[in-house]
Amino acid sequence: MSKKRKISLSEEELVLALQRRENIAAEALYDMYSASLFGVIVRIVNDETLAEDILQDTFVKIWNSFSSYSTEKGRLFTWMVNIARNLAIDKIRSKDFKNQTKNQELENNVTFIDEQRNTVYKPELLGVKDLVEQLKPEQKSILNLVYFKGYTHVEAADELGVPLGTIKTRLRTAIAQLRKYFN
Amino acid sequence: MEDIKVYIESGILELYVLGNVTPEERAQVEAMAQKHPSIKAELDEIERSLELYAGENAVEPSKDMRNRVLNSLVVNLGDDRTFKSARTATDEENNVIPILRARSNNIFKYAFAACFALLIISIAGLFSVYNKLQESNNLVASLQSQNQQFTNQVNLMDRELGVFRDPSFKMLKLQGTSKSPSSALMVAWSPARKKVMIDMANASMPANDKDHQYQLWAMVGGKPVDLGVFDADTTSKGMKEMKSIASADAFAVTLEQRGGSLTPTMDQMMMIGKF
Repeated sequence: MSKKRKISLSEEELVLALQRRENIAAEALYDMYSASLFGVIVRIVNDETLAEDILQDTFVKIWNSFSSYSTEKGRLFTWMVNIARNLAIDKIRSKDFKNQTKNQELENNVTFIDEQRNTVYKPELLGVKDLVEQLKPEQKSILNLVYFKGYTHVEAADELGVPLGTIKTRLRTAIAQLRKYFN
Repeated sequence: MEDIKVYIESGILELYVLGNVTPEERAQVEAMAQKHPSIKAELDEIERSLELYAGENAVEPSKDMRNRVLNSLVVNLGDDRTFKSARTATDEENNVIPILRARSNNIFKYAFAACFALLIISIAGLFSVYNKLQESNNLVASLQSQNQQFTNQVNLMDRELGVFRDPSFKMLKLQGTSKSPSSALMVAWSPARKKVMIDMANASMPANDKDHQYQLWAMVGGKPVDLGVFDADTTSKGMKEMKSIASADAFAVTLEQRGGSLTPTMDQMMMIGKF
């Protein structure tokens, strides 16, 4: 594969190109979003090979059902990351996956994987250290459980042993913290 | 306005963006967002920040994933089903097909014409080659028959020459009898080889008709022995070998029925010669 320059379009241009099913749209879509989506998928399934399969399925599904996306519903990435997260969750809840990981309790891996990921990927990620410092531990764990582990807020409440209302509040303050940080 | 603030503060918008709501809640949020620009703006902010957060936590997939994914999309590009939702049958499509068809028809037409022309040329070529072959075959046949003729002639002359070379041959001139005084025929006879030849080239005798033939006899101890029949006409030439005999006192020629007789018809004796 030749080292091509990554293609990047504005979101409006990309959406238009995807609606016209142009080849360049597929390339731009991959170049712009593959790493972000893969980061979510690999954290949910905790298996690089499996995550690659799911990433491929995700792009196929995005491409084939793009007509069901409209800009009125929200940002393109939000729509796509929900497709990726749902495919990944479907996979880990399938019989195959449960048999594969018989003795591995998903909960036990939650913190371990993220620590591993952080040590591996931290140097490439500018600003992550600052960001991590901005978030309180309980904000970070709820955000990671829901966003990167695919937990529902009900499951997260169970996992963390806190009331549902607290989960919602923590999630909101965590995201508010992100907003502050990114602004 | 207070209601909207409470709604935003409830945290439902965050759960909506995270896909963590029931279908009813989803419909509600979407309805609210359409009605209230401030909710729409809030949603957009939440989405934007989570998108950036995902970007901060991005993991680069392996290099070959790009081709793998793009290929699977390209394969899907060729799948007709993927076009159904995105594209309707437009005039564009209706126009494209006839043009393609017309073009491919033309190609076939030219190809067929070319093939047909080639076929005609080939048939003509084959026909002319066949004629030449036939001519050659005829020539070969005529040359062969000519060759055979020459061979025969050479063989014959060889034998004739042999007669003169071979000292065992005796030459005897048969003289015409009173029946045909002007007739004459040379007979060459080799007792050692038991060979009898007559020289037709120098024979002078009247031509026989188609019912009669000349018959050569040898007189052995006063008894006639048949040596075979022959024709005499103006075209006969060369030497002719007759039946073999070891001893003879005299040779005679009679005119007999065609095919010859067992005994000579004495009153038709044309020539005779004695040693």
